[in-house]
Amino acid sequence: MSSRDGALAAAYESAARAQRSKWWQAHWAEAASPLVRAALLIAILSVVLLPIVYLLALSLKTPDQVLEGLFLPTKPTLRNWINIFQNVPLALYIGNSVVAAISGSLITLVITIPAVYAFSRIKIGRFLPGLILGSYMAPPMVPLIPLFFLAKWSGLIHTLPGLIICYGLLNIPVALWLLTGFIERIPEEIEEAAAIDGASVLRTLCQIVFPLMLPGVVSTGLICVILNYNEFLFAFFFTSNTTRTLPIGIALFQGERLVDFGQMAVASLIGVLPIYLTAIFAQKWLVRGLTTGAGR
Amino acid sequence: MNHQSTDNEHIRNVFTRRAFLGRAAKSALQLTLTGQLLLSKKALAGAYAGQSLNLVLIQPHKISGEVLSKSFAEQTGAKLNVTIVPYDVIEAQATLDVQSGANQFDVVEYWYASIGSLVENNVLQDVTDLITKDEATIKTSDYIRSIYDPYTLYKGKRWGLPYDGDSHVLFYNTTLLDKHKVNAPTTWDEYLVAAKTITEAEKQNGVYGAIVMGAAIPVIIGSTFANRLAGFGGEFLKADGTPNLESDAAFKAAKALLDVAPYALPTPVETAFEQAVPSFLDGKGAFVECWTDLGVYAQDAQKSKIIDQWDVVQLPVEKKGDQPRASLNAGFGLGLSTATKKKELAWEFVKWATGYQTALELLTTSNSGIDPTRITTLNAAEYKRFAPKVQRAANAALHGAVSWPTIPESPKMMRSLSEKLNRMLADRQSPELAIRQINSDWVQILQG
Amino acid sequence: MNRSAPAGPCVRCWHIRDAPECIPAGPFGTAIFIHLKSMNSLAKASRKSAPHSVSPNRRRVGLLLLLPLIFAVLFSAAYPAAYLALTSISKSTMGKPFISWVGLNNFVSALQGDFAWSLMRTALFAIPTSLVQLILGVAIAVLLNSKMRFRSLGRTLLLLPLMSPPVMVGIAWKVMLHPTGGFVSRTLAQFAWLHTPSSFLGEMPWAILSIAAADTWQWTPFIVILVYATLQTLPAEFEEAARIDGAGYPRILFAVQLPLLAPALIAIYLLKLILSFKTFDLVYVLTSGGPGVETSLSSYKIWQTLFQDFNLGMASAQTLLLCLIVTLITLPVTWWHRRIQRTASL
Repeated sequence: MSSRDGALAAAYESAARAQRSKWWQAHWAEAASPLVRAALLIAILSVVLLPIVYLLALSLKTPDQVLEGLFLPTKPTLRNWINIFQNVPLALYIGNSVVAAISGSLITLVITIPAVYAFSRIKIGRFLPGLILGSYMAPPMVPLIPLFFLAKWSGLIHTLPGLIICYGLLNIPVALWLLTGFIERIPEEIEEAAAIDGASVLRTLCQIVFPLMLPGVVSTGLICVILNYNEFLFAFFFTSNTTRTLPIGIALFQGERLVDFGQMAVASLIGVLPIYLTAIFAQKWLVRGLTTGAGR
Repeated sequence: MNHQSTDNEHIRNVFTRRAFLGRAAKSALQLTLTGQLLLSKKALAGAYAGQSLNLVLIQPHKISGEVLSKSFAEQTGAKLNVTIVPYDVIEAQATLDVQSGANQFDVVEYWYASIGSLVENNVLQDVTDLITKDEATIKTSDYIRSIYDPYTLYKGKRWGLPYDGDSHVLFYNTTLLDKHKVNAPTTWDEYLVAAKTITEAEKQNGVYGAIVMGAAIPVIIGSTFANRLAGFGGEFLKADGTPNLESDAAFKAAKALLDVAPYALPTPVETAFEQAVPSFLDGKGAFVECWTDLGVYAQDAQKSKIIDQWDVVQLPVEKKGDQPRASLNAGFGLGLSTATKKKELAWEFVKWATGYQTALELLTTSNSGIDPTRITTLNAAEYKRFAPKVQRAANAALHGAVSWPTIPESPKMMRSLSEKLNRMLADRQSPELAIRQINSDWVQILQG
Repeated sequence: MNRSAPAGPCVRCWHIRDAPECIPAGPFGTAIFIHLKSMNSLAKASRKSAPHSVSPNRRRVGLLLLLPLIFAVLFSAAYPAAYLALTSISKSTMGKPFISWVGLNNFVSALQGDFAWSLMRTALFAIPTSLVQLILGVAIAVLLNSKMRFRSLGRTLLLLPLMSPPVMVGIAWKVMLHPTGGFVSRTLAQFAWLHTPSSFLGEMPWAILSIAAADTWQWTPFIVILVYATLQTLPAEFEEAARIDGAGYPRILFAVQLPLLAPALIAIYLLKLILSFKTFDLVYVLTSGGPGVETSLSSYKIWQTLFQDFNLGMASAQTLLLCLIVTLITLPVTWWHRRIQRTASL
């Protein structure tokens, strides 16, 4: 042990000791912690939920109550909720949206995860991610047109599979960017160990890297699902009538001369439900645990 | 056994049967009057039975689409597939449809101001010869003069037939006017004074004299401006196609808009019909310029707090005694897509849908969103019975109208107009400055 | 040495090893170690052993893994990019593409009009709002990551704004902010702060601030999800080590977690920045670009050029100009990201 190392070690130890003595200084936040944090969270949640609760209130209002300037309805009514499925094929729109969003997201993940592994571990083609992210900078309006032609030539226009493939392709830049971040966090030693044991690239990817990336994969997938679900432009031009998705349905309320805000609110609230349930389901996969101690 | 329900059913049946007989009798009478069937013998004979036709309509005309589907199927056996789209993307939808070869639509509903753009983009077919050939059925002289040319004519040829008239009229709240002893205005000055009186008295209660739609969207603030332009006798373009905004009428129109803004429901800059209509129906404003559909909403218990407390007049003019003119703010026509493979059937449909009987049926259906385009439908007894107040006001179209430019540059021009007028309202700029800027912008745009 | 406690990196070789000759740096030293690493002074010393040379077999497998991506990108990026480039130097309408070739005319016209201003507006909107959202998002993610009540409820409820359809978000905010018909203005009036109805969407700077508020409300959960997931991947031993040694939470946060998170945060900020530059829905619903053109962000202008004017050539030129601006602005961020990434990975 060189003197330099010894000095360093000693310095760290003394700093730690000094730190320990200032326990209260360090721990003031922790002592009051649970209550303070809970209060903070409730404050944040109220801001977050305000417009949503307002939507709920809107959904209970008749058209003449909407612009009364009040938060709650003066004469709440369930009329909008009862009528919604009759007036609009909401179940169809939501069904299409859910299928397109989730399938599209899965396609994106299937394409991107192997690619990210290749970029990060096998280190080939590293010029691609920058270019792909660059392509993401363009607002989708003009690219819509060549893709519209492509969809028409391949016969997929106005079909749900066409929209799904479109969504699958459109979110690749996002997924690529996010997953790269997550894969770079995983220490390579683990895979080196596996390689020594003779594992093939594919096995390493599937059995070691993928599980370690799981929180990243789930969150990226969830982001893609959400982006797809609320996407309007491509959904509008690539679908028609029976293949229409939820954002189009809601926009059609907007196209009326007398906008029925109550019904729009109901459609939106019901529409959010499937995606919300998906998110709750995915939450379980976001919890901690898999990386602890894996490197030792 | 439920005695009550069979009674109700019986009554319903009687009404239905009566209605049907009534309709049949009516059609017979009309046939006698017009002396001509709307459909060709071939169509009536069922030649098109089982075929389908694709139509794209705007969202506000959804109900009319349902009526058309049903009637067309009854009369010809052909199935009408209606696609509903928001009104601000219908042109894009139709253009992309043709340009990509998707060819989904046979008949296209188009906003008349976009006719130039649609023709240049190769979306609509030239139907001049077809109209001449079928003149006896179509009766082009029956179309309201001030509507027919703007809605169908471009570069000397015809590209469709008028479907929905759609001019603005001035609605007012009778309770508010009576309360403050104000008469329904006939000039824009009277309108200003009335709005001011009511606003100053009722501001505390959140009620205002005028509701002015000034949001920076062409169909919103452009319409509001056009209403005033019509009253002051102006036009958007001169006969030779050059901008006509450096005119007295345009300055006065812009000034009238600016003058009423302080007395209007806060704030005109952000008000479009989704705020204006509910506010008027809530009784929060005394005046609003809107399409005639508002009359129907105003009588709907679910939507309106002012049932039977409203009336409607023609748009105000400059001086007493001037002839009111209509302002054509959102009319629509039906045209044939260049991509259609069913030209004959499509043309049958267009003739039929814009013909007297069909038009009248649509006019007298609640919430169809359709306004008169023909002189005979405008003056029809059934229409007068169905919407008496609105019918009186809609008459102005017979005496001239301001139509928006229909050349391909029209969207860009109207957007420049809406942005600059919106800024004028927001910053309280001088109307002369705003108009001059718009005019020079237009000159530049037209020069290419 | 106390081997039962989790140890930090070895002070000799600065690797995480358990070799007998290693002297663990001590729990708190770990935090300092990370500081130093991210300041690049140990980067060279801790350079990993040379990566195993990429064997031809591995290359082949790698290529196979890349194939779906290359294929997908050809259709979804390369082909539209070519179309974009070609139409931008042509006179094209949506109905009739490639009428004639006009060189750089479209670009010149675009820059002479309001579009150049809109680029500036968009940049002034995107950069600060993304930053605010990043800070808020990190704060909330850190909050959710700690042990507390309502944690899982908070996690799920927080996602709602992001999941709401943008049109509806816009409408809800629009109705809420209406001068007379919305409750915000009414409530403020009751407190006598403002005696006239306040127009949030019709006056500047409130119009752009309202859009920023709605955007922040909607997209902060995006940051939260990603930062939260990244927090889950942080090796627990560092935090535990520092904690055992007596470091309180704020210190853990700033000394341990944030430096480790830095590359991820920059990546997330970058992504959000790019998304912000493309903001369209809120402008379309809330203000329609008004008052005047004050809130006409670039994406909205491109939509107007394409879907109202049908000028495809001009819209393409505008799109490319926007891409250029975004690239220029994100270049420093990308560069910084690459620097931090190289040094902070363990």
